[in-house]
Amino acid sequence: MRAAWITFRFAMQEALSNRLALWIQMIVMIVNDLVWVLFWVIFFEKVGSLRGWDVDLVLLLLAVMTTSGGIVLGLFHNVRNIGSLVADGGLDAALALPTNPLSHLLVRSVAPINLGDLVFGIGLFVYVSRLEPLPTLLFAICVVCSSILLLSFLLLMGSMTFFVGRNEGGELGFHAVLLFSSYPVDIFTGVFKVLLFTVVPAGFITTVPVRLIDDFNPLLGLGFVAVTAAFAFVAIATFHLGLRRYTSGATWVRA
Amino acid sequence: MTAAAPVTSGLRIAWVGRRSMGVAIARTFSARGGLFVSGGFYLMVTAILSELWKTAAQANGGAVAGYSATALVWYIATSESVTIPLPVKMIDDIGVDIANDTIAIEMLRPIAPIVVRVATEFGVVLPRLAMCASLGFCFAWISGGRPISGPALLLAAPSMVLALLLNICAQHFCAAAAFWVRDAKSAWFIYQKLVFVTGGMLLPLEVLPSALADITRWLPFMTMAYAPARLASGHVEPELLLIQLGWLVVLAAGAWWAFDRGQRHLIGGAS
Repeated sequence: MRAAWITFRFAMQEALSNRLALWIQMIVMIVNDLVWVLFWVIFFEKVGSLRGWDVDLVLLLLAVMTTSGGIVLGLFHNVRNIGSLVADGGLDAALALPTNPLSHLLVRSVAPINLGDLVFGIGLFVYVSRLEPLPTLLFAICVVCSSILLLSFLLLMGSMTFFVGRNEGGELGFHAVLLFSSYPVDIFTGVFKVLLFTVVPAGFITTVPVRLIDDFNPLLGLGFVAVTAAFAFVAIATFHLGLRRYTSGATWVRA
Repeated sequence: MTAAAPVTSGLRIAWVGRRSMGVAIARTFSARGGLFVSGGFYLMVTAILSELWKTAAQANGGAVAGYSATALVWYIATSESVTIPLPVKMIDDIGVDIANDTIAIEMLRPIAPIVVRVATEFGVVLPRLAMCASLGFCFAWISGGRPISGPALLLAAPSMVLALLLNICAQHFCAAAAFWVRDAKSAWFIYQKLVFVTGGMLLPLEVLPSALADITRWLPFMTMAYAPARLASGHVEPELLLIQLGWLVVLAAGAWWAFDRGQRHLIGGAS
């Protein structure tokens, strides 16, 4: 753990080294997120509410999404690269270190632009909830679980490359989970909705947390934590199983 | 640094442009992985947004801002098919090529870099457009119902090609700023969002508040998504094609001018 912490600190220092670039990228991301807020405000202005969702709930969904997305893609940015590193045989440098390769890979780089998401998400939550104690506590817990779920899903997608040899599926999975998590899953019905709670767990990443924060249900909360733990276990196991099939590409500089 | 004498003959430029485009098309077809990701992503986005708008229309007495549920599905299938094929960070990539002097090397060729670049990008996105449009056609028919108007759909076909070309020219025009500021990073993010909202990619412009909708009609972004999508959603409005052609002249000339000035700046800075 200590090695991972030191690696993370260095990654953080690297991200913070160019302050101007950091601020510009964060502001750009915040503007990007504001466009989505604008979209939803215009949308609900026109259509009222939709299957129990109104503008406040969707803004809460955006807050959960951007905060957990900011944590995963900002602080654990390298999870996105695991698939391509595996496909190109670029894990050698991580495997040669006297530390857990997975923890090293996850904390290896920090993306300043996604830190803008993190700041925006927290700011949006403060705006939506007015910092009432219970919702704030639930938000914090849900964001942790949601981040673990997202991280686990991306790790699982990347680790599948060990078995299929190509990363296109992982890339598609990445786009799918972010995209579907940005919308209330309740707008979908039937098999599609089932898929969003199983194959692509977008429903658990944002819709369930919003339901919990808005109207807490202990049973749903327990289920949410159980699903998170199960996803994390499967993702870590898949990575370690896949590692046995890894073939070096003699690339020592990328991981 | 001196650039080679530029080729100015229109025929020669057209020939080089066509060759560059042909090579890019062949490359895109050979990289099937990219096509697969692009097609899969397109289907996901289209499925979500069309479901959202369809549900909204059904909840609002069958229509939103004059668009029926069927029209909205065709609108979204088209607006996405003309935006998803484009490389997301094109402005950033061009900026990097300017900053690391890749463009300076391209200037040694006896043809303007902007011609080769626009033709190549167009060649890259055409196969993707063909794939997305085919998928979108099937999706919209199955999910939304048969096309509302055959003639409007026919008009939408050239409009989609024009939309891509307009977008590529506009991105080159914006990216040319990197000749002076040496960094176009993040500009693509803002540009992309302008196309999302003021271009009508996420929503028909009629849904916007009237003041904002009026402004967007005077901006070039509406030609990059709204124009073909409006046609495909059953509105026979051939004037949209004329507006696209007008903006194409402006943006192509703007991109040519900006690159020309930028290259002169580069040569001046290097001498």
